Amino acid sequence: MQSNASASAAALPLSGCRVLERSRTVAAAYAGRLLAAMGAEVVMLEPVGGSPLRRAAPLLQDSGESALFAYLSVGKRSLVCDLESRAGRLMLARELASADILIDDTPVRSRPAHGLDPATIGARFTELVHVSVLPFGATGPKADWDGEEVNLLHAGGEGFLLPNGLSIELFPDRAPLKVYGHFGSYQGGATAAFCALSAWWAVTEGGGQYVDVSVQDAVLAVGAFALQRLGDGSLEHRTTRSFRYGGVFEAQDGFVELLTLEDRQWSALVEVLGQPAWAADEALLDPLERSRRGKEINGHIREWMARHSVDDIVRRAQELGVPAAKYRTPAEVMAGDHERERGLFGDIVLESGTPASVLVAPFQFRCTPLHGGGRVPPLDEMARESSE
Amino acid sequence: MSRDPRAKAPLGGVRIADFTIHAAGPFCTHLLSQLGAECIKIESRTRPDAFRKPHAVYGRMSAATFDQVSANKLSVRLNLKQPEAVALAKRLVALSDVAAESFRPGVMKRLGLGFDALCDAKPDLVLLSLSSCGQSGPDSHFAGYAPLFGAWGGLGWMSGYSDGPPMEVRHAMDHAAGVHAALATVAALHQRRRTGRPQHVDLAAREVASAMIGDALVLASTGVAPVRPGNGDLGMAPHGVYATARPDRWLTIAVRSDAEWEALVRGLEQVDTDLRFATMPLRLRHREELDRLLTQWLAPLDADETAARLQQAGVCAHVSWTMEDIASDPHLRERGAVTEVSAPDIPRRLAVGAPARFSRTDDVGIRRLTPTLGQDEDYVFGELLGLSAAQRADLEAREVIL
Repeated sequence: MQSNASASAAALPLSGCRVLERSRTVAAAYAGRLLAAMGAEVVMLEPVGGSPLRRAAPLLQDSGESALFAYLSVGKRSLVCDLESRAGRLMLARELASADILIDDTPVRSRPAHGLDPATIGARFTELVHVSVLPFGATGPKADWDGEEVNLLHAGGEGFLLPNGLSIELFPDRAPLKVYGHFGSYQGGATAAFCALSAWWAVTEGGGQYVDVSVQDAVLAVGAFALQRLGDGSLEHRTTRSFRYGGVFEAQDGFVELLTLEDRQWSALVEVLGQPAWAADEALLDPLERSRRGKEINGHIREWMARHSVDDIVRRAQELGVPAAKYRTPAEVMAGDHERERGLFGDIVLESGTPASVLVAPFQFRCTPLHGGGRVPPLDEMARESSE
Repeated sequence: MSRDPRAKAPLGGVRIADFTIHAAGPFCTHLLSQLGAECIKIESRTRPDAFRKPHAVYGRMSAATFDQVSANKLSVRLNLKQPEAVALAKRLVALSDVAAESFRPGVMKRLGLGFDALCDAKPDLVLLSLSSCGQSGPDSHFAGYAPLFGAWGGLGWMSGYSDGPPMEVRHAMDHAAGVHAALATVAALHQRRRTGRPQHVDLAAREVASAMIGDALVLASTGVAPVRPGNGDLGMAPHGVYATARPDRWLTIAVRSDAEWEALVRGLEQVDTDLRFATMPLRLRHREELDRLLTQWLAPLDADETAARLQQAGVCAHVSWTMEDIASDPHLRERGAVTEVSAPDIPRRLAVGAPARFSRTDDVGIRRLTPTLGQDEDYVFGELLGLSAAQRADLEAREVIL
C-alpha cells in the first residue's frame, strides 16, 4: 500500500479518492485504514507529537513500537497539523480544498475551536463528505459521553451477552467478557467508511454532506438479533443463549469449534464420532429432542474429543460436511496455507526498520487485486519530503 | 447544509439482485438497502431463507414475524434448478447494479450464475460473493457458521478469559462480515463508475475475523506470541467489568491516564495514597491488586448513577446494558439507531434503524418490513422484466416461479 502514488494504484477500487483523517480513536483510524487498503490516498493530520495511537498497546518488545498503530496506519501518509494554531487551521483548510472525504473523531465540544465545526466546513467545502465517528455519535443526549472499547461493547448490548458455551460453563460467576481488542470500534470504523463512500456516491447529484456515525450504534447493529429476540418476547442472557449442543470443545492438543444446525450435519457428526451406541437412540433424530438433551450430547462429544487430535477431528468432520474448525493461534493464522494462497498478508517495514507482516484487507477484489505491504508512515513525513 | 425533503438516500437508484441467505450476506444487503438501494431478494418455496423456517436452536418454532436483515427488501420467487428461472435471474441481474450471493463457492457457477456468465448479461456488474473461507484457497470449500469464522481467523483464540478456553463470537461476527462486505461493494461501485469495468468482490468471513485481531497478527509476525488479555488491557489500568450493588448489574471502566485515575478516585469519593497505583506503568504492574480495590469500592454502589457521575468527572464508564436498557434509551431513540416499526400483521416493536445520520436526507433506515415470499412479483416480473400475466401464470404452472 506504500505505492498509493504509483501508476499501478490507478487500478484500485478507490484510486483518485482523497481522504483526510483526524483520528485519536481506533474507529476513525480503522475507517481510514480500510479506505487506504482499497487505494484511497489517506493523509493522517496528526497533532504535534503524533497520534496517541502511535503509543497504543500492544507494543513490540524491542522497539516499543505500537503493533496496533502499524496495523491501522500502513498505507497512509502523515502530516502534522496543529489545529491549536492559526497556521494549522489554514493548513487544514488548504488540505480540505482538495479532499473528497474528511474522517474526524474530535470531540464535539472541541470542534469549533479546531476549525472542525461541520456547518462551517459544509458551507465552505460543498462537495466534501464530512464523516464524524465518535463513541456515542455527535448528536443525542449522550453525544458528549466518552468511551473506550470495553465501555462501547457493553453500551451496544453485545458485551452483556458474552461469553457463552464452555467459557460460561467453566466460570458461571465471573463478569461478562469482552471480545478481544477493538471489535466494536472496528464495526464503527467499517460503518464510517461504508457511509463515507455511500455519501461520496451521491455527491454528483446533491453535493457533499455531513455524516454522523456512532460506535455504540454500530455495536448494536451487529447485535441486532438480540433486539429482534426482545421483540419476540425473549430477553437474551449470556447464560441462556449458548448452543444447546456443539460449541467449544477441548481436544487432545487444542480446541475445536463444532456446530451442527441441520439434520444432515447431525447424521454426519454421528459418523465422525464412529456411530457410538448412545447416538443410536432414535429419539435423537428429532432436532427438538437433541436440543432438550444437549447437555448429555455435549458430555459424550467432550469425552470423545479428549481422545482425538484437533487436526484429525477437523479433517474428518469437514470431509463429511460437519462444520468444525480449529481454534487457531495468531501464529497459525499467519502461517496458514489458505491465507498464504490468498495473499492475506503483506510485508511491511516498521519505523525502526523491523520487518513484519500485516493483514492486507478483509476483502478481495478479484479483477484488480489490492496491493499488500508498505510501511508505517513516520510522523510528518509529508512536510519533510516537501522541504527536501 | 439544510435537509432537502426531496433529497434522496445516498444509494437511491442502485439496484441489487440479492441471492444471499442466512445472516452475513443478508445483513450486508440490508445495510445497502437502509441507505437507499433497491434490494430484490430471490428465493423459492423449496429453498426459502432461514427466517421463513422454524429455528429450534433459538427456540423459535415457526417462521419469524419480523426479521431485521430481510427488512426493506422486495421478494420474488425463482426456482433456480430450472434453466428458465436461471435465465430470468440473469435478466434481473442485467437490470441491476449489484448481484450478491452467499452460497458455498462454486454453487453459483453450477447454477449457471457464475461471475463470467453474469458479466455476459451485465458487462459492468459488481458481484459480491460472501462466504466463510473465500472463493479461492485450499479451505474454500469448508462449511461454517459465525463461531467457526472466529475459530479459523484467530479472533476466538484471542478472546476468552486469560485462564480459560477460547470464546465463541456469534451473530455479531456474521454481521461484522456483512458491514465489511457492504463497504467493499460500494467501493466496487465507485470503481465501476470510474472505469466502466466489472468487479468480483470476494469476502471471506474468516478474514474479517482475522482483521479483528490485526494488531495481534502484527505481533505474531515478529515472532511474539500475543497474550489473551480477557477483560484487561495492556495499556490501561484499571480496565474491566466490575460488579456493583445490584446482582448482574455490571459497570465497565477504562482509565487511560493518571489524570483519569485521579478523576476516578475523586468521582468515587475515595482517597488513594497507595504508591503502587500512582502511575500507569505501576497500575499495570499491580493490576490484580488494583482490580481488588476497585471491586471493593464499587460493590456498594449503584451502577447507573456511578456511570453518569464518572462520565461527568471525565472517566470512560458505562453500565453493561441489557437489550431492555437499549430498548428504553432516549439517546439511541433520538439518533434513530433504535426505531419503532409496525405493519398490519406485525404489532409495534423495535428494530435497529439507520447505520448513520446524513445531513442532507432523512430518507435512510427501514422503509418496509419483512416481505412475504413473492410479494413483489408484479413490480419485478411485471414492470421490470415485462412479463405478462399469462406468461407468469405459465411459469408458475411449470414451477419455474415456485
